[in-house]
Amino acid sequence: MLAIDAVGVTKKYKGSRMLALSDISLKVESGKVFTLLGRNGAGKTTFVRICATQLTPSSGTIKVLGHDILQNASEIRNLVSIVPQEGRPLRALTPWDHVYNWLKIRGEGSSSAREKTEDILRKLELYEARNRPAMNLSGGMKQKILVAMAMATKAQLLFLDEPTIGLDPVSRRQVWSAIKQWKSNGGSILLTTHYMDEAEILSDYIVIIDKGKIVAEGTIQELRRIIPQNMRVDVSKDGLDVNSLSSYGSVVDTGGGMLRVFTFESAARELSELAIRHNVSFTVSPVTLDDVFVHLIGQTIDKGDTNGVGQNERN
Amino acid sequence: MLPVRQAFLIAYMTGILWLRRNPISLVFTAISPFSLLFVLYVATDGAAVHFAVAGSLVMALVGYGLALGQDISFYKTEYKIQDVFVASPVSPLTYMMGLALSELLFGLPALIVLAGLVVSFGGSLLSIPLLIATILLIWGSMSSMGFFLSSHMLHMRNATQIISFVNVVLAVLPPVFYSIDIVPDALRPLAYALPTTHASLMLQYIIGETPIPADWSLGFGFAVQAAYLIGFVILARTRAIWRES
Repeated sequence: MLAIDAVGVTKKYKGSRMLALSDISLKVESGKVFTLLGRNGAGKTTFVRICATQLTPSSGTIKVLGHDILQNASEIRNLVSIVPQEGRPLRALTPWDHVYNWLKIRGEGSSSAREKTEDILRKLELYEARNRPAMNLSGGMKQKILVAMAMATKAQLLFLDEPTIGLDPVSRRQVWSAIKQWKSNGGSILLTTHYMDEAEILSDYIVIIDKGKIVAEGTIQELRRIIPQNMRVDVSKDGLDVNSLSSYGSVVDTGGGMLRVFTFESAARELSELAIRHNVSFTVSPVTLDDVFVHLIGQTIDKGDTNGVGQNERN
Repeated sequence: MLPVRQAFLIAYMTGILWLRRNPISLVFTAISPFSLLFVLYVATDGAAVHFAVAGSLVMALVGYGLALGQDISFYKTEYKIQDVFVASPVSPLTYMMGLALSELLFGLPALIVLAGLVVSFGGSLLSIPLLIATILLIWGSMSSMGFFLSSHMLHMRNATQIISFVNVVLAVLPPVFYSIDIVPDALRPLAYALPTTHASLMLQYIIGETPIPADWSLGFGFAVQAAYLIGFVILARTRAIWRES
């Protein structure tokens, strides 16, 4: 069974002239981590919120775990759990209060809730801080409380909307580990993220979305093949004839006075020598998912403008 | 059974656990309903104390009910906790009930004192069921209204402004703290159209120290309040924004 089956989903917010989502069709297989990648305002959160029954689409159909989001929302709500973007735990409540009571609200018995709470808090290294009010915890620990609440449930599908935002590298890896374990237990995940490394490490399938439209999709390997070259050279614009760079490969302006040239190993060597001769800075590295993103969107994810059409615009 | 359990757990999380760690907030919430009571008592040298007690109890209930709206706006726009609840087996009415119970916990000391004053002035234990019914009717309808209003607010500031305005319209302008006899005949139907007028009259009836208007009866008061409660619960259930469009 598909975890999510979306056909022709379009969303236009009231008062907005632009479409937040435009004719999105995608299929998310059960037991996989499916990632939506895009800049701020690309439409990722809008899609997640529609699938999580928080928002209605303007047109199109979506089935989540076999249930229609408009006709059978209550069935879906029993089967899913979410970490909302920019969510915060309640200040006076401890990690234990949040997770334990949330599990009981979702119908768990006391002993099962206690067991699961302890388990997830240990996994995310929140156990030592289990009795400290959230107001006394770091931003990363607060974020992990929300992740713990979602992952402690027996939901079949998790919606994680930028779950590791604001986390330090160690905490991010703890969350990644919990996500992998969730998947290994047969659970499905719809993840949105800004982090390319996160997408590369966790995703079974990635959809790159921009201005409400799907611009590419596939596995990591499939996406990497979008760029025919296997190397990239980042080179400073200063002192180089920009037009001449195109003879080495495809050139993208990444902003900040830098150009990115996608090329092959031999040309990368020649380009490096050219940069040395002109005394300009450069770096050489293999093509990554970030490069695919830049290649498709024309900008790095961090430099994405916020004039998009998604949820952020409304707030 | 699960929705009731869910509502109590929500009240426990947002009320009891909060109060356990911030007991001082109970003092602040408890004191505020007595401000007008104090002013009226001093200004009239005790002559208007019965109106002041009835009015303060109604105003407190309106305040606690509508404060639910502020809480809901806060949880929705600042914490995004409502998003977590929407994508879960918790229904909007259960969520509303849980937070409304939590608000009631904060106001419990003041309500107990004010209700105690009403009974002591009235001097009859038989009036306690009527008092409880009045409290539940006005608290229920105001909580539903607070939930409905807050669900339409995109920003916390809007919620605070609108709820303050509604508070004035329902608890200050109508004859809640003063006798309905003062209201000109032309405006009486307007006064009777508001549930708080009837709540105050019911409390004045229990206290028994002030004459009850000839064109009002207990049944009339109950009917209007029950109609408001049913209407606002329906409104909260069908027109409050839980899933956004």
